[in-house]
Amino acid sequence: MSSVEHPLRKYLRPSVEATTFCPGCGDGTVLTSILQAIDELGMTMDDFVFVSGIGCAAWIISPNFNADVLHTTHGRPIAFATGIKLNLPEKKVMVVSGDGDLTAIGGNHLIHAARRNIEMVVICANNGIYGMTGGQVAPTTPREARTITTPYGSLENTFDISRMVQASGASFVARWTTYQPRQLTKSIKKAIQKKGFAFIEVISQCPVQFGAKTGAGSAVEMLEMYRKSSISVKKAVEMSPQEIEDKIVTGEFIDTAKPELCEEIARLKERIRGEG
Amino acid sequence: MENRRVRTGKHFMMGNVACAEGAVAAGCEFAAGYPITPASEIGHTLAKRLLEVGGYFFQTEDEISAICAGIGASWTGKKVFVPTSGPGISLMLENIGFAVGIETPVVLVNIQRGGPTTGAPSMGLQGDMVQPRRGSHGDYEIIALCPSSPQEMFDHTVRAFNLAERYRAPVFVMADAFIGHMREEVTIPEPDELDLTYRRILEKGTDPSTVKVFLDEEVAPMPIFGMGFKTHVTSSCHDEYGNRNLIDPTALDNFIQRLRNKILKHRDEIVQVECDYDNCELALVAYGAVARCAKEAVRVARSKGLNVGYFRVITAWPFPDREVQDLSHKVKKILVLENNSGQYYPYVKAEAAGRAEVEFLPPQILGQVHGLDYVVQKIEEMLR
Amino acid sequence: MPKVYILREACKGVVDCDICRFVCPKDVLGKSDMLNRKGYFPPEVVDEDACTQCGNCMVYCPDMAIVVEMRKAKKAAR
Repeated sequence: MSSVEHPLRKYLRPSVEATTFCPGCGDGTVLTSILQAIDELGMTMDDFVFVSGIGCAAWIISPNFNADVLHTTHGRPIAFATGIKLNLPEKKVMVVSGDGDLTAIGGNHLIHAARRNIEMVVICANNGIYGMTGGQVAPTTPREARTITTPYGSLENTFDISRMVQASGASFVARWTTYQPRQLTKSIKKAIQKKGFAFIEVISQCPVQFGAKTGAGSAVEMLEMYRKSSISVKKAVEMSPQEIEDKIVTGEFIDTAKPELCEEIARLKERIRGEG
Repeated sequence: MENRRVRTGKHFMMGNVACAEGAVAAGCEFAAGYPITPASEIGHTLAKRLLEVGGYFFQTEDEISAICAGIGASWTGKKVFVPTSGPGISLMLENIGFAVGIETPVVLVNIQRGGPTTGAPSMGLQGDMVQPRRGSHGDYEIIALCPSSPQEMFDHTVRAFNLAERYRAPVFVMADAFIGHMREEVTIPEPDELDLTYRRILEKGTDPSTVKVFLDEEVAPMPIFGMGFKTHVTSSCHDEYGNRNLIDPTALDNFIQRLRNKILKHRDEIVQVECDYDNCELALVAYGAVARCAKEAVRVARSKGLNVGYFRVITAWPFPDREVQDLSHKVKKILVLENNSGQYYPYVKAEAAGRAEVEFLPPQILGQVHGLDYVVQKIEEMLR
Repeated sequence: MPKVYILREACKGVVDCDICRFVCPKDVLGKSDMLNRKGYFPPEVVDEDACTQCGNCMVYCPDMAIVVEMRKAKKAAR
């Protein structure tokens, strides 16, 4: 019986015994969903370069994935990934990080990578809080939620990351919760195959910080909440802003084709070579 | 066939343009930058020149992105260049430390301008001299070169690439607005006269978990991305194989000391100074634009019969400690000239302590190079 | 006959996590009384006959700690 191995185990570094996530953390589900997508596409880890920033979600790929992995500084993974992709256009470059990393300290890079439409998959595990540092308010924290730095509730508005990335020019944008791992895997597969900037937001439970501080409860209670409050994009367009206020709109927001930066650069270089 | 990388010949050229040409000649394939006075001409030149040779100049959303994209590009095996000015370096500092920590070859140029803060963008000041050495948090060593002319903007940029590749480390070229915007004759050699260094890359097929690819004082081969090495590269404290270790202080000690020793053990290959102080009583110490004035002041003072010599710092970091010790043994007095309020001076003074008397002379007005008479007068005073 | 394997040492326990039992539609899993080496109580299979091979426990588990052996190998979606 001990000889049974999980079919996705082969994608992890041999030295990895277990992930460092807290019990019930949604980041583990994001991890398996990514590997499941790679497995179903029949790709190998050598087809990818993975980049992460700082925070719990950055540890999804580092050190776990048995691949080229660059675990960078806080907020900057997309900037590093851009430098990699521009110089290794034949490889798939995937950034996996959290909401604080990608939208607070690193928000500018996210906006501009989407604007450039550089081919890249960015997966944002959004737990609505700073988990690793002890449960501080994040740009994604719901208004009025209590955190360690908003003891009377947050006074600020909540970032709608997916809408922001879509407005910035991404080719593919989807949002799922960790209650929808199969849909998530399907979107990751599409994102990997997308010629352009592909962004996936995963609403992911953090029972230890978000659950405890805001009163959202345990991992299971949070998944139950995701189940109850998720509505599809199609349904959301027929609803009033008041009706969707407390809902999580999930699904694929955009999936379009437009000029991709690396291809444009290659074309330009080809043209200059011809003229020279 | 015409070599498109090396514009061999004599040119009347701006320092910043010579710097960009040096990068292209050295084999740079990727540069990233954000517009900033007084360094912009480097990017302007590279935007065209890199495309001509199959490379790319990437204009980023900010300087943080520039250094990050540069480091990412370097991990694909490319020679990488990140030109900017002081405010840009201020933004990049965290990730310059990252480049040190994960041993990434990258060349940075700081065309220094008047600070603090936005300051006076088009005026030259040597105001950032300690910044590359101590600006990023933590304990580390850095390499920094100080060109004094457009010719040296070319030469030092080529050398900076060689050092970055040799030691898998960030290397600074510390110029200023005077040198960057100065136009002089620049001789670009024949391609085969350029002695270019390329980093050692891990042999294809090697499993990096069985080979030391980090923290080797003799410089480990780089397990670059895209070759199937499955390298784990992390900003966290790590061992020789890239495994993160956050619980063992000996791992941290190893992480810091080996990175420092990688530079310090090879300081003889890195440190360069220009010396002319045999049998002199006093020596002027200067670098960059100010060194031109110091050299001329020494010539004038000598014509007046004054026994004065000259010590030009070419490699600012690692600090030329043994060279300054030698100087302090041989002269009685040292006068440090800098176009700032005395940034390099304390290092010289500390190294010469107990042997030579060290004084500092700023320019009459910060942001201007020292007046010739003003320096000669000071020499006369000190020798009186 | 489906086979559900619990990789006990990879599990972080039903006390704090419990996602596998939450997503199982047939109450196949119960709580083990034996701690694993890390000090967690993994689930244990209590009613394997009820298992429909939906695979939820395996898909949702954040720690790759459950393997459901499918009777027929699923066609790999390519």
